[in-house]
Amino acid sequence: MTNGPSEAVGIGSSRGRADWRLVMLVVSSVLILAGYALPMFPNRITEAVTRYSLGATRWSSFSVLVTEQHYNQNTAPLNQELDSVAIEVAPVTAHAGSGWAWLAQLLAPRERLGKFFSLVVCLALPVIAALYMLAWAWVLLRGKRDTHEQMIVPGFSLALLTPVCLWLAWQHQFDFSARLLGLASAALAPRAGFYLALLGTLLACATAFSYRRDTHRALFSWWWLVLATALLIWLLTRFRPQPYLEIWNFISDGIVVTLRLVATSFGLIVLVSLLGGLGRISHNRIIYGIASLYVEIVRGIPLLVQLLFIWFALPQVFDGIGDLLLAISPGLEGAAAVFYDLRLNPFTAAVAGFTLCYGAYGAEIFRAGIASIHRGQMEAARSLGMTPLQSMRFVVLPQAIRVILPPIGNEFVALLKDSSLVSVLAVSDLTRRGREYMARTFLSFDTWIMVALCYLVLTLFSSRAVEYIESKMRFER
Amino acid sequence: MASETIARLDEQPIIQIENVRKTFDHGKVGALDGVSLNVYRKEVVVIIGPSGSGKSTLLRCINRLEVPDSGKVTVDGVPLTDAENINKVRMEVGIVFQQFNLFPHLTVIGNLMLAQRVVRKRSKAEAATIALDLLNKVGIPEKAEMYPGQLSGGQQQRVAIARALAMQPEIMLFDEPTSALDPEMIKEVLDVMLQLAEEGMTMVVVSHEMGFARAAANRIVFMDDGQIVEDSPPQMLFECPKEQRTCEFLSKILH
Ligand SMILES: Nc1ncnc2c1ncn2[C@@H]1O[C@H](COP(=O)(O)OP(=O)(O)O)[C@@H](O)[C@H]1O
Ligand SMILES: [Mg+2]
Repeated sequence: MTNGPSEAVGIGSSRGRADWRLVMLVVSSVLILAGYALPMFPNRITEAVTRYSLGATRWSSFSVLVTEQHYNQNTAPLNQELDSVAIEVAPVTAHAGSGWAWLAQLLAPRERLGKFFSLVVCLALPVIAALYMLAWAWVLLRGKRDTHEQMIVPGFSLALLTPVCLWLAWQHQFDFSARLLGLASAALAPRAGFYLALLGTLLACATAFSYRRDTHRALFSWWWLVLATALLIWLLTRFRPQPYLEIWNFISDGIVVTLRLVATSFGLIVLVSLLGGLGRISHNRIIYGIASLYVEIVRGIPLLVQLLFIWFALPQVFDGIGDLLLAISPGLEGAAAVFYDLRLNPFTAAVAGFTLCYGAYGAEIFRAGIASIHRGQMEAARSLGMTPLQSMRFVVLPQAIRVILPPIGNEFVALLKDSSLVSVLAVSDLTRRGREYMARTFLSFDTWIMVALCYLVLTLFSSRAVEYIESKMRFER
Repeated sequence: MASETIARLDEQPIIQIENVRKTFDHGKVGALDGVSLNVYRKEVVVIIGPSGSGKSTLLRCINRLEVPDSGKVTVDGVPLTDAENINKVRMEVGIVFQQFNLFPHLTVIGNLMLAQRVVRKRSKAEAATIALDLLNKVGIPEKAEMYPGQLSGGQQQRVAIARALAMQPEIMLFDEPTSALDPEMIKEVLDVMLQLAEEGMTMVVVSHEMGFARAAANRIVFMDDGQIVEDSPPQMLFECPKEQRTCEFLSKILH
């Protein structure tokens, strides 16, 4: 009873604030669902007459939506010399053009879902979002704060995808009809239902966004960005297989090469960095000198130059050593032959170059990380009878790793991007495959967008992964 | 009670420090200037002296955390010269630092078990048993699974003592073990040290806790300017110091 009044005020004010947004949630879902009942997209091709230049005609009827591939199968040319095809498209009924009708047809059991899966996703997501908003409104009405807070981030992300999905669904039909059938774009403009649903999805976005203050979590969790980029690649390949699927098929083996290159190099880089870092803190002057010389020289030469040197100049160096050995004594023929035969393959050369270069940067990171651990830690370990190596292994490094991990993670992401430099060697990585495809087709924009998106997914994913590992490794001080 | 000098001329001292000199920064800073000190088994020696007089340096020379420029340090008959000897001696000499120096990435019991496992090569079960026994002894068995960062200063220092004891050393060195502690935590640490002294541990303690010195010390060593100025039993030192410098210093710390 004592805190009755303040509680009443609290509920009252939060209710008052929540009310209009609750209404917005309901309105947005009703708009979406209503939009789906009205005609959304025109020119659903159900019947077509194909006229061939020789005078023959073929009449085809489609029980479902047609894709380009589907259409071509049904209206195969009569003979090979055929040069022109004219097509007439039967108009659609308003009823058949509604969102529900589209979905119903796509989901009809006799049809193969796989063929239209991306379109189904695009059409279904707004409906799912509408249902989600209704459920959310219900949760709010019941006053379940915890559930509400958990629903904000997924709700916002879902809402954000829906306008894009509606647009892509329309593009699907527009693209095919306009390009293949040569229909005027005015005739292909979306109908009222589309706009109504679009309005609903935008409203849902805004409402979900207005709840951002109720959650302490990042509203747009960056994991969603990784997902969204991957989804974008997938949708591009589904909706515009020409040229994106083709590009994807062409460059995907390059992704494997890039990943293999980065993984191999990174393993070696960590090893070299550790050794270099230990060398840089060594009290032995020779070891310190070698480590410092390595770091200073390698950091002063651009990575690209190092790669070019290893690939183009190193064979000459090996030959030179062979010549030298022969000059010293003809008896060293065997040893000289080893050097004459010593040739790196492009992949090995690339790995060697990255290890050399990134190892030097990594050595500095390790040195700084180890130096950041208080001297007393080493002394305590040593005073307990541990050897210097044991103290390093069990006491200093486990603590230093928490300091080292973030910059080393950044190095990994940088390496992922710099790995594109190996395309100057003969390594068929992602970038080189992109160049090869472009040289073949001259589709520069589409090729490089696709390559860039692939890199983006990889780098965004690794950044998130590094963040995750970091958060797992924190400890009480 | 324990404050008579144990003069055992027939016996070999467990720590023998002979004419040790040590400078820092290539001879620019002098820390120890010809220090000789013998410590016998079961003795408790308290070292006092103004800041910068070389107390820590002397202590650290005993387990070779500092390497003397000249002079000789022998522990339990083993001269501290090459690396082989050092690790052997370090197992026998535990040291407790002013700043605790616990391993923050390990739990309390992990701190106590690490060196046992790595250096003494004990089994996990054995190391854990010893560790828990020692935590009982220092009075914080319930903190075994906590991290050092979650403990108070006094608790951390007691863990540090237990960690050194886990190696079952012959000698314990303490370098101002209570200086970094809030006043209310000093007693809990001193109690543990007193108990150790009663059990007959050989101890060299750098500390200005005169209560502890009175109760436990066999000898008090007063250092100034890198030299041992005076080395006497507590009563003698408190009642009639031989040197003027000792008097001045004592009057400062005894208020
Ligand atoms: N690692 C070091 N580097 C340089 N000088 C030092 C170092 N350790 C101690 N010293 C110097 O040696 C002298 C004695 O130091 P220390 O033994 O720590 O004195 P105390 O412990 O009695 O205060 C001081 O002058 C101090 O500045
Ligand atoms: Mg000191």
